[in-house]
Amino acid sequence: MPTFFASPLCVFSASILLRLALLFYGLHQDAHSPLKYTDIDYHVFTSASLSISRGLSPYERETYRYTPLLAWLLLPTTWAPTYLWFSFGKLLFAAGDVLAGLLLVLLLRNGGNGQTMAMEGALKYASIWLLNPMVATISTRGSSEGLLGVMVIALLWAVVRRKITLAGVLLGLSVHFKIYPFIYAPAIMWFLDDSQIAPASNPQDGLQKHGNQNEGSLVTKMLNFFNRARIRITVVSLGTFMGLNALMYILYGFPFLQHTYLHHITRIDHRHNFSPYNTLLYLSSSQPSSSSFNFESLSFIPQLLLSTTILPLLLAKPSLPSTLLAQTFAFVTFNKVCTSQYFLWHTIFLPLYLPNSSFILSPKKGMLASVLWVGSQGLWLGQGYELEFNGKSTFVPGLWGSSLLFFGVNCWILGVIIKDVGAMEKKHKGNVSREVRESVKLGRLWT
Amino acid sequence: MRQRITFIQESEDSFDPKLLDVYISSIKARGIRAIREDRITFGLQELPQELYRVLKASHELHIRWVGTRSYMSVPPIVSRLSPGLHVFYTPQRNSSNSDLLCPSLKKILGDIDCESTEASFTNLPAERFSLSAAKQYYSPLFDLDELQTYLLHKLCKDAHPNCLQRIELLETAASLDIDFDTISHALTITAFWPKRSWDFDMSNMEPKERLEVGILTESHAQEPEELSLGGFLTVVSEDTKPSPTLFSFPSRHHPYDGSFTSSFIQPTGLHPVLKLDISYRAPPFPKEDRSCSLHAHLTLPRAIFADKYQLADSLFLASKNLVALHYITTPVDLEAPAYTLPIWGSSLLLELAPSQASNLVPPETSEWDTSFTAHIPLHLRYLPPSVTPQTLLSVPSPVLFWACTADEGSKFPVNPFDRTNLGYDGLFGPRTMFYHLDPKPSIEGEGLLNEISVPVLDLEGSKWVETGTAGVMMLGFAWVCWCLLSVWMKNGYGATKAINRGKKEQ
Repeated sequence: MPTFFASPLCVFSASILLRLALLFYGLHQDAHSPLKYTDIDYHVFTSASLSISRGLSPYERETYRYTPLLAWLLLPTTWAPTYLWFSFGKLLFAAGDVLAGLLLVLLLRNGGNGQTMAMEGALKYASIWLLNPMVATISTRGSSEGLLGVMVIALLWAVVRRKITLAGVLLGLSVHFKIYPFIYAPAIMWFLDDSQIAPASNPQDGLQKHGNQNEGSLVTKMLNFFNRARIRITVVSLGTFMGLNALMYILYGFPFLQHTYLHHITRIDHRHNFSPYNTLLYLSSSQPSSSSFNFESLSFIPQLLLSTTILPLLLAKPSLPSTLLAQTFAFVTFNKVCTSQYFLWHTIFLPLYLPNSSFILSPKKGMLASVLWVGSQGLWLGQGYELEFNGKSTFVPGLWGSSLLFFGVNCWILGVIIKDVGAMEKKHKGNVSREVRESVKLGRLWT
Repeated sequence: MRQRITFIQESEDSFDPKLLDVYISSIKARGIRAIREDRITFGLQELPQELYRVLKASHELHIRWVGTRSYMSVPPIVSRLSPGLHVFYTPQRNSSNSDLLCPSLKKILGDIDCESTEASFTNLPAERFSLSAAKQYYSPLFDLDELQTYLLHKLCKDAHPNCLQRIELLETAASLDIDFDTISHALTITAFWPKRSWDFDMSNMEPKERLEVGILTESHAQEPEELSLGGFLTVVSEDTKPSPTLFSFPSRHHPYDGSFTSSFIQPTGLHPVLKLDISYRAPPFPKEDRSCSLHAHLTLPRAIFADKYQLADSLFLASKNLVALHYITTPVDLEAPAYTLPIWGSSLLLELAPSQASNLVPPETSEWDTSFTAHIPLHLRYLPPSVTPQTLLSVPSPVLFWACTADEGSKFPVNPFDRTNLGYDGLFGPRTMFYHLDPKPSIEGEGLLNEISVPVLDLEGSKWVETGTAGVMMLGFAWVCWCLLSVWMKNGYGATKAINRGKKEQ
């Protein structure tokens, strides 16, 4: 009798059943308890859809800070009878989850670069997402983060499978949806060099370009950087992003720009959250802006330097999936605001990184990381509870200290991930040189 | 200037009119146990220049100040507002001077947080009924010290003892109304004092001015919509003796046999719950007679607010003994810290669900037939950091009343004791009667305020926050960079080296 994880049918049925069970449990709780299972955001989305169904702007709903696309997607939630259709969005988000899990399995089975994995292993790792109760709960409570998960993992899948146009569309779409996936653009661009393109298309072409790269001037090098794939993904993703923005701007005018994008620039994230900047932001937001220099206004420098420049440059070529994880991890760790929903952003990449990680190779290290990560969050949550429900002023040192500790733990984990991806380089080098050698042979045969 | 002074007695205190001494230009009495209402009407030309300019720019201006001490109401003065300073205002159309209002309010009433009518006031629902003004403002101002100083300087120029005494009397007033509208073209100041024993000696100096003194007692009215008063009226300098009177008038506001206390459930945290303990004998009318519903009207300073989306779910509302949120100021920001908002705050009208049978208290154990508890979930904004870890926030007690529909065809023309622009009256139709429950302090002897201790960032403890955050941030960044550097030293920044090596190996 095969084990549970050897059968895709078992794992996917279980993941679907888990979500359906949570969905029905949520319906029951909502109908019978004053404490609601459904996330407040879901009511924000659905009442924005209701606005649209009445021919109004989704931004009629206060705190709707998303693209109108989301409200359009959820239009069926306004259909009658409500008891059937209202949960449509949750079903959609949960379906997105499962689809993301399927793409994870495909990527694990064959992640490009000749890396393959047996079905059982792939399903085991994909279960970190598919059977993760946190992921399933967030989606069935009606939070749209899962939808972003599927978009981002589909983007990775499209890049690895060289479906460049699709990748461009997905990149543009996901940035339009939630801005942060723009950090993946430099990694993907850097990754799509000729060695990645050539073996799949014309090896001779690729080799010639390599030759040029070594001999040519800086200008030719720069010109050579813009290979066909890079140009195509740039044009398609920018076109998608700007096209969607233009469409939404035409339809909904300035409120679209204000709520979807500009709000994130002007907002003061003063309410307590996991971010290390939090206490400082509370302090500085209450003081007159001109009083002194605020170093937190420079917080975007380490954040963007890491997540959009250094990490992609050093890591994207050895392992794109793990680079996307490291980038997301850096982006969330160094962000000015951080809530537990943001953890879903990197959880999606975890199954792709873990198989080669030192957290798995050295279970002690893995355990330590989990204990520290969960423990420092727990410490913070304890302080947060004292503040939120008991009215104790735990801002300093409690919340501040535990958020710095959590930041430290995150930095350590990020360092380990970076070193792990660096170590993959060695294996990768082996693979690439073998691949290049093989492709060179093939090319010779061909000519 | 016209003055009307009314003493209203309860029947057990009734007063022998012979004890009232009427002279040619003055009136005297001792030991009247009564509530008192003074109403002084000024013509616009009698006012100081600065006030005149403000009123010129106003279509309507109604200022309602209520003190924090609790008192028993006596009909017809039964309507209530939450303690503090309320301003209801409609600017004159096409007037650019509406921004004189905030500075004038500050000058007259004291240091209130009022930037401008644009920034600090909220809009009331569009003028469906001419009853209510267009804009609302509130400030937690609980004394009239500044006003007394202002009036001393402006009114009692010759330091007449009578004048000084009248202004001193404001010290003990329970409420003060200032009303102006363009139609009457006059400014009326109405002050109210709860029941006590009064000795008075009033004279009318200027023959042009009018001074009217009434001593009245409620008598039985014929219609449920009406109130009836009987007693004696004297116009000083005209009448030689008090003339007896008895009159009835339809009234919006009615007394009611019920009371409530409000308090916050401890610990309050950042999501305080306001608990209302309500006791009454019976609804104002039997169910089959008139439709009545019990309401709570809350005036919330900006630091605390209700989330209308949370108050939309009927199951949730029912679990708190609430029926529905009928009105809330729009918009109410659900996220911003208090110190970034110029707006005064918000008001809301909630319908309560008097429980049918479950909470009935047997009559022998209580003076009331029915008592029940309702809970109103609220939320706190962040307050500015302070040198102490907690900041005290005063939230005024709400106003509770039954709203009942009056008989078809009944109208409420202006009556001698009418009061409109109370914040909630404009939210109901014109044929609504209000039966007011008496607010009682939750702690005996305290005022009608509920205090919350709000946790804030302690400035004493946060000296190291900036350097500490910066230090940890740089350490973390340095560690990540170190890891990246070690990878770079080993591998370079891409796969090109590998390819080159691959080529060379050929």
